[in-house]
Amino acid sequence: MPTLPPGFRLQRETNTEEFFINMGPQHPSTHGALRLALRMDGETIVELVPHFGYIHRGMEKQAESMSYLQYIALSDRQDYLTAIQNNLGVVIALEKGMNVGVPEKGEYIRVMLQELGRIASHLVFFGCFGGDLGGQTCLLFGFKEREMIHDILEEVTGSRLTTNFFRPGGSRYDVPETFIPRVKAFLDHLEDSMRDYERFLSKNIIVLERSIGIGVLSKEDAIAYGCSGPVLRASGVNFDVRRVNPYSIYDQFDFDIPVFHNGDCYDRYKIRIAEIHESMKILRQCIDKFPKEGPWRSKEKPVRLPEGRYYSEIETAKGLYATYVVAATTGEKPYRIHTRGPSFPHIAALNKMAQGHKISDLVTIMATLDPVIPEIDR
Amino acid sequence: MGIINYAPKILDPIPGGKYVVNAIDYVVNWARANSIWPLTYGTSCCAIEMMSSSMARYDIARFGSEVFRSSPRQADLFILAGTITRRMAPAIQMLWEQIPGPKYVIAMGACTISGGPFIYDNYSVVRGAQNLIPVDVFVPGCPPRPEALFHGLLTLREKILKETCRHPWHEGKPKDVSTMDRYREAAKTWAALEEMKDEAMAEARAKFKEEHPDYKSAYKPVRVKKEDFPEVPRVPFKRFGLTQSELFAKLREKFPKVTVHTHSEDPIEDVVAAIPADRPLEVMVEPEDYLSIVEFVKSSPEFNMDYLIDVTAIDYDDHFDMVTMLRSLEHGHKLFLCVQMKKDFSIPEEKRATSLLASVKSISHLYPGAEVKEREVYDMFGINFEGHPDQRRIFLDKDFVGYPLRKDFTHPQMIRRPV
Ligand code: SF4
Repeated sequence: MPTLPPGFRLQRETNTEEFFINMGPQHPSTHGALRLALRMDGETIVELVPHFGYIHRGMEKQAESMSYLQYIALSDRQDYLTAIQNNLGVVIALEKGMNVGVPEKGEYIRVMLQELGRIASHLVFFGCFGGDLGGQTCLLFGFKEREMIHDILEEVTGSRLTTNFFRPGGSRYDVPETFIPRVKAFLDHLEDSMRDYERFLSKNIIVLERSIGIGVLSKEDAIAYGCSGPVLRASGVNFDVRRVNPYSIYDQFDFDIPVFHNGDCYDRYKIRIAEIHESMKILRQCIDKFPKEGPWRSKEKPVRLPEGRYYSEIETAKGLYATYVVAATTGEKPYRIHTRGPSFPHIAALNKMAQGHKISDLVTIMATLDPVIPEIDR
Repeated sequence: MGIINYAPKILDPIPGGKYVVNAIDYVVNWARANSIWPLTYGTSCCAIEMMSSSMARYDIARFGSEVFRSSPRQADLFILAGTITRRMAPAIQMLWEQIPGPKYVIAMGACTISGGPFIYDNYSVVRGAQNLIPVDVFVPGCPPRPEALFHGLLTLREKILKETCRHPWHEGKPKDVSTMDRYREAAKTWAALEEMKDEAMAEARAKFKEEHPDYKSAYKPVRVKKEDFPEVPRVPFKRFGLTQSELFAKLREKFPKVTVHTHSEDPIEDVVAAIPADRPLEVMVEPEDYLSIVEFVKSSPEFNMDYLIDVTAIDYDDHFDMVTMLRSLEHGHKLFLCVQMKKDFSIPEEKRATSLLASVKSISHLYPGAEVKEREVYDMFGINFEGHPDQRRIFLDKDFVGYPLRKDFTHPQMIRRPV
């Protein structure tokens, strides 16, 4: 069982009694079906134990009887805020097994959709963060721009949320002609609105009071628990798969990896805003270099993987998303597929962050972790 | 609203009372149908579309449902957005019971209608919300678009408008959770119906052939011309940190028993050197060595494996492979340790499905993040972790029988995917 950090003292002067609070599985600020059991002393959290499994859908068992291509559709349903990124994670693992490459235009399509997905996810974070702090208007703002990304995704992939788009060697379809102008228009719009939004939250006194110094995750703890993505980088670790193990063509773009050092809620908020800007930078470079001509996918081959184990990792909006495919025999069906989602370690580290804070701070911390529960439970 | 339901009894005998009852109906229904407040509830993907529908673009306020209540006691409508698992089922019934009547339920998405993408080979998903609570409107889609949800809302509105004092809303009963297995019956009936249909179709076809012996279809199949795509080579992978040969040599120096999985007769160094650069090195280690190897690679400055990616396992006929994925944040190399554990076949055969078949040392004191991952492996495979501080089931209920990711796992609720 997790124990108290050394040096932690109960405030006995207030003469309170310890008691338990159950939060979830149906609670608006647990971002899905997560249950937290809290041991409280007055309003202070003494200990927190997360209970998972309320949305355990048995995807890994199902995958054993599916073909590789069918599994891509299941991966949509893991982190549904950025379904398009999960698709890529699975597809890269398959490509390693099939030994196929992707033509240049296909790679550009991939990178652009990846970054659009990242922006979409961070906009939901922006909305939920504001919403959880009591500013429901933020939700409206965040989803306003997100709808524009949904429009683009719908035009390209045919679906708003569950995209099921990439295939080994490229993607299902070519992008329509309107794709590039639309992305351009969207970026111009987003640039303006981001300026407004930042003014709205970043210097808001309520946000500052409720997030600076709250839920601090030290660098050592962040690494030890296996956190990744913005949560890890807000604690001062410069780790981004796009930089350390570049997949697709991420090594051809000029962008920064924002790193913050305090590891508190405010840094986790700021880093996501900074990442939206970096994504916009990548998208602008893509628009400039986007190849007009050329094939957008490589030769179609049956998706059969030779015997072996294949591993891929990508950086989704939430962090390190890894797929581990085990092919026991050469064929169209996996022996086992395992997914490593980024949110799982974050919730495991939640106890470390929440201890000693008030219960209303827990809501802030949960919001800045930006977890997606079905991706934890799978 | 109990008193209104008596209105017909009192007013109908009075001359003209009928019209008064109708007027009451009109007013009550107008009020009810135009402010249906939903409960903030969502478990998975469909919840995002539900949120989208309440945001600026779609604006659910046009239909009077913008007030999402967080407490069931203030809500009228229960939008079941997202998959329902067996573990969540009691919570859903409790929520439904807490909503004061008249209450309505919209089942949003394929999952709440039939199980959706999770019908086959699944042991944890409830196949349809109607097995738990009475549902008024079903909205198909995976996920349904916000427009579809609105259509469901309008359909519900129509239903509400049809309720009268003479036929008031009546409370259904939640279903007994233990009878959730009615799906199997339904599947049997369905299969029988399909068979009947097939026979009827075959008969009709035979009859048609008899009557029109030289009938030829005017339809000619057209094949869309396939575009030709070139074959593209894979881009070589840029490597960081130690190479696989270096990693392997250094590890072998200290632990001579480590190997890699191979079918060829070549010397092991050549096999390691032949692994493509984009694949991590996966070494096979003995269960006894496992803990000391992890301790070594974590503390040695050359390896410096400070980051645990994941712990998972694979089930084979007679052994488990447990894979521990490690990486070094400083250097950038990865190392996968594959522990091969023989299954303990001294356990009598009928007890094997429910007992722990293998055991290995826990590494959660080295990597705190391993605690939940090892719990997951324990839950899914039934592998015991010695020295784990909190070894409980993580995703499944305490009383769940069996370990789902073993290949021989069976569950009464599981339906095999037709091949
Ligand atoms: S119906 Fe589809 S989108 Fe909705 S919860 Fe189920 S899997 Fe997700």
